[in-house]
Amino acid sequence: MTEKSILFDSTKCIACRACQVACKQWNGLRGEETNNRGSYENPPDLSPQTWIKMRFIETGKQGVPGWTFLRQACMHCTDAACVRVCPNGSLYHHPLGFVAYNKDTCTGCGYCIDACPFHVPRSTRNILTGIAKMDKCTLCTTQGLDRIAEGWEPACVKTCPPYALKFGDRDPLKAEGTKRVQALKSQGYANAYLYGERELNGLHVLYVLDNSPGVYGLPVDPQVPATVTAWKGIIQPLGWVLGGLTIVGLGLNYMVARQAKIARDLQAEKEK
Amino acid sequence: MEREVERYRRPTRVLHWVNVGAFTVLFLTGLVLFIPPLGFLAQDGWTRLLHRIAAVLFILAPLIYVLLNWKASLSGIKDAFVWGAEDIGWLIAAPRYYFLCDEESMPPQEHMNTGQKMWWLMVIVFGIVFVITGLIMWLFKETASAALLQGMVLLHDIAFIATGSMFFVHIYLSVIHPLMRPLRTGAWSSMARGKVSAHYAKSHHAKWYDRISKGEEVKSG
Repeated sequence: MTEKSILFDSTKCIACRACQVACKQWNGLRGEETNNRGSYENPPDLSPQTWIKMRFIETGKQGVPGWTFLRQACMHCTDAACVRVCPNGSLYHHPLGFVAYNKDTCTGCGYCIDACPFHVPRSTRNILTGIAKMDKCTLCTTQGLDRIAEGWEPACVKTCPPYALKFGDRDPLKAEGTKRVQALKSQGYANAYLYGERELNGLHVLYVLDNSPGVYGLPVDPQVPATVTAWKGIIQPLGWVLGGLTIVGLGLNYMVARQAKIARDLQAEKEK
Repeated sequence: MEREVERYRRPTRVLHWVNVGAFTVLFLTGLVLFIPPLGFLAQDGWTRLLHRIAAVLFILAPLIYVLLNWKASLSGIKDAFVWGAEDIGWLIAAPRYYFLCDEESMPPQEHMNTGQKMWWLMVIVFGIVFVITGLIMWLFKETASAALLQGMVLLHDIAFIATGSMFFVHIYLSVIHPLMRPLRTGAWSSMARGKVSAHYAKSHHAKWYDRISKGEEVKSG
């Protein structure tokens, strides 16, 4: 199937946070009570109840004010660390490319929370019992609330007043993002960049940025953590092999040793 | 009835069986996260709750034992780290012994033979690894850095693979291997009743048997 994506143009975003509201509304996530911290950025962080949030970044220099906004939510990686570490496939790649999950089967281990290079998945956790459930943006594919299967746009895209968010086939959106970045460059934004084109083999959320990703608080070269690769790619398969070989080896030993024991017992009988 | 000698005192046996129970639960509730097709069993995290209840036992039992039996504990732990020429002899003889059931090939052994010592050393070392990494993942899950928690998972897994595989070997060599049958002769009887026949002690742990029959300090673990 043709991969789908969201294109977010930070230069068009007015930080009205309608996407935050639409997300909560569609997915039935309650609002959180927060305190005024002297910023329009609210709530202060993602949470199991907040799957999308705008980050406000002041970039003003030498008296010239500058204020940029960044969308913070799951980036729906092609090479998704969370999918790799999930012990029972609760997190998986949707046929359209993004990262969906089945909350019912989630074990609450929290491995995805530690593995995600963007620090996106969050969980409710009882620290004593360890009972937990993970939540994150599903790109509106939650069972029973699946807008994509209906042929609709995700709730955040649908509501975006300045059309800073777009949803569609990945390739045309990538082309549009590239064009937009070129236009920004010709206007003097030398560091303009299309984030997500190549990162982690392609993200299914593309960001048009008028500056380098670091300015926006994004990891410049996001990677699947090395421990994840070592653990899931080497240690764990090695464990299956070692455990399997041990059982096979013991079985073989039993067959050989049993014959030897019977032979010896017979010999001892004879010598009596 | 044949003369018997004491091999494991009651507190030692109780500790052994409490840890058998705790480790089995820990092993199985860990296995469901280790083998993807079993992952559905871990759904909703109830296995994590069981894992923690067993973990409390796994931690407290040895601590209580050490406090009440600190002398035996110290010498027992010391034994795990004392290795000598007779251990090489065991390693050389082991294949003949365990595959061909050639009991004559085995050089005289101490209270613990080399194989038992290797397992005991693993239990001590990986037990500590399990407890430290496990407690960090339990108590600091929401405060420790992601990199630290990932490292702990990795170490916990390595300890799991090592002890999990050897757990099979331990059970097999104690109660399933043809030389360990019938059960009343050796390993099973020493852990179930604490006693073994003098004949078994002499043939399997000759150096230890010599010491206790000379009336030296009886060290029965």
